[in-house]
Amino acid sequence: MSTRPPRRRVVTAGLAASASALLGSCAMGGAGGAGEGPHELGGDDEDGSSGQRAAKLTGKITVWSWDVAATAMKRLRGPFEERHPDVTVDVVDIGYDNAYDKITVGLRGGTGLADVLTVEGSYLPRYTANFPTGFYDVARRGGRFGGDFDRAAWRTVTGGAGRGKVFGLPWDIGPCALYYRIDHLRAAGVDPKSLRTWDDYVSVGVRVKQATGHKLLVHDPTDSGMFPMLLQQQGQSTFVGGRIALETPAAVRALTLMRRLAEHDLLAYEKNWDGMVTATKEGKVTTNPIAAWWTGTLTGEMPELKGKFGVLPLPGFTADGVRTSNIGGSTLCVPAQSDNAEAAWEFIRFLLTDTGNQVAMLKREGLFPAYLPALDDPYLSERQEYFGGQRVNAVFARLARNIPPVEYTKDDAKAKDITTSAVNSVLLRGKDPRAALASAAEQLADATGRKRVA
Amino acid sequence: MVALDSGKHTVVPAPSPRTARRPRRRQRHVGWVFAGPAAALFALFFAYPLGASLLQSFTAEDAGSLRWVGLDQYQRLLHDPAFADALVNTGLILVMQVPVMVGLALLLAALLNQSWLRFRGTWRAVHFLPAVTTLVAYAVVFQVLLKTDNGLVNQMLGAVGLSPIDWLNDPTWARVSLILTLTWRWTGYNAVILLAGLQSIGKEQYEAAALDGASTFTTYTRVILPQLRPVVLFCVITSTIGTLQLFDENYVLTRGGPDDATLTPVVYLYKVGFQQFDFGYAAAIAWVVVALIAAISAAQYFAFGRERRR
Repeated sequence: MSTRPPRRRVVTAGLAASASALLGSCAMGGAGGAGEGPHELGGDDEDGSSGQRAAKLTGKITVWSWDVAATAMKRLRGPFEERHPDVTVDVVDIGYDNAYDKITVGLRGGTGLADVLTVEGSYLPRYTANFPTGFYDVARRGGRFGGDFDRAAWRTVTGGAGRGKVFGLPWDIGPCALYYRIDHLRAAGVDPKSLRTWDDYVSVGVRVKQATGHKLLVHDPTDSGMFPMLLQQQGQSTFVGGRIALETPAAVRALTLMRRLAEHDLLAYEKNWDGMVTATKEGKVTTNPIAAWWTGTLTGEMPELKGKFGVLPLPGFTADGVRTSNIGGSTLCVPAQSDNAEAAWEFIRFLLTDTGNQVAMLKREGLFPAYLPALDDPYLSERQEYFGGQRVNAVFARLARNIPPVEYTKDDAKAKDITTSAVNSVLLRGKDPRAALASAAEQLADATGRKRVA
Repeated sequence: MVALDSGKHTVVPAPSPRTARRPRRRQRHVGWVFAGPAAALFALFFAYPLGASLLQSFTAEDAGSLRWVGLDQYQRLLHDPAFADALVNTGLILVMQVPVMVGLALLLAALLNQSWLRFRGTWRAVHFLPAVTTLVAYAVVFQVLLKTDNGLVNQMLGAVGLSPIDWLNDPTWARVSLILTLTWRWTGYNAVILLAGLQSIGKEQYEAAALDGASTFTTYTRVILPQLRPVVLFCVITSTIGTLQLFDENYVLTRGGPDDATLTPVVYLYKVGFQQFDFGYAAAIAWVVVALIAAISAAQYFAFGRERRR
């Protein structure tokens, strides 16, 4: 409601082509319900030197985010407002637990959303596919940045129903590696360098447990755990070419590995994020196969463990296989309900296509940039005191470029619930991985009407 | 005289139709003035969503566009293993938790009704308090109590030399935890309702039973309980409805996991609707739950209520 006057002000200011295109699409699409296609944020801003444009942006934009992402934007809205004095940015920390409920209800109801939304990369395609008219298509403005972003992350903003569409810009990405407790491995007489494959990983786990009694890693029994990470490492997600890919050799390999870990009693069952943090802090587990952003949690929540952790590339399924994967990473997008999409887009561009801002967000909030030019910044090759002087960011920067891009669909949420059941029926009830995956595939086919691979 | 008088009075001439109708019609209008707001609110917030959700259960959504699919969503439910799991879990709670809880509540109510009990008001308040607690707050408290490491319950088990139990991460124990939390919250509530029923039974009934030489046990089973039947029925039916609508406790405690061991129809509905965007299917689940509640309540009413009506 407060965004209404600014819209009129924009008109009286006589903003030419781009604004009228925007208004036209606003009037047509209205609530973002059942229009034909997504709204486009038209007009090219060829050079991006927003000198002239800057003067024209007015009004207030609201941004929804959570945790460190909200912190970062609260910090950087100051410089943005200096550059665009007529724009006010209101960053609202809506909390992760409610974020997607709020976004879903807002998209479905066609009202009530902020001008800029934070959506995790793996979630964005299910939204853009289920609500194809719910977001601004920024292809004409943002398409040219495609080459500047990590290709796995870029796929998430163009994914789902989009053909040549761009629904936002990627923010951070979660290249995966293996965090390990240096002291645990030493106590078991294990050389970290010998840890190359998942087979090595299991046998190291057994040795460490014998020597120290510590388990190897945390598993949340209400979640599918490392299963999606292991799939993406092998270059696929639950779907390949729109078909259900739960009976592929890659899927069976992934779940079989998880069963071996359970059979050797190497899993510490902990629920939710807090459980994982606590188990790590208490030294219950020796490793965390997890994304780069875990660094921020370690330094922030367990500073007393400084010097105890090291980082290795993820173990591979074969000695020369891919040694990384992806967990998490977010995007910023503009819902079609926004009355001030111009300013919203400009804020996103300001945050995410600027090396300085991106490196600052890595330094201050631990958000690992998907923006490739930022990965060349000298800061990334600095030694990290917390990791005993290891150049951890350099490891992640190298791994980030090798993340296999995978397919996301509108049915990912269904797939996740069903694979969660399959994974835990194997881990908790000893079901055969192949049989569990076959019945999950059947269930998913039933729920989505999709065909099964193989 | 009196008869004549009264006879005279009955022969009061009937009012003309015109004068009779007008006040009645005005009365009707007045009635709507009072009932109108409530009726409008009911139509807007109950009738409309109800009808809309029923219609929605016959549709499917594909990338934002609606499609009429008839009974497809209901057919899908027939062979959906997750929904079957949810029903089995609910059935387990119905069969195990509800009778235990109502039994406990009866004992508690009988105790609270004793004249020798001191601070009766306080005791009643104490037992009723859990029902007033915010759902999420108490679920969080139980989450802390039942934590595997350093949870209070496991610490107490450890103190008497027992090994810790993985309360919330093991399928079987997660069910036990859920049943314990539900019993903690609702026993006192039911006890207070049963207590009200007990207090409507006069002292003379106890005295008469005592005069006949009945033991306390016989007094309760033969005299008091049969009279309490409608109140027990009320407790059983509301508990059954509550169980079928179970959401907060298991959502906060276990998210329906591990391995769907504590999944309930409403948690499943929430997941399907708000996380998987399958609103038509979610609406179908809602209506199946409604039908189940109606059917089970009716069955209980006929099974337990029969004797009273005879």
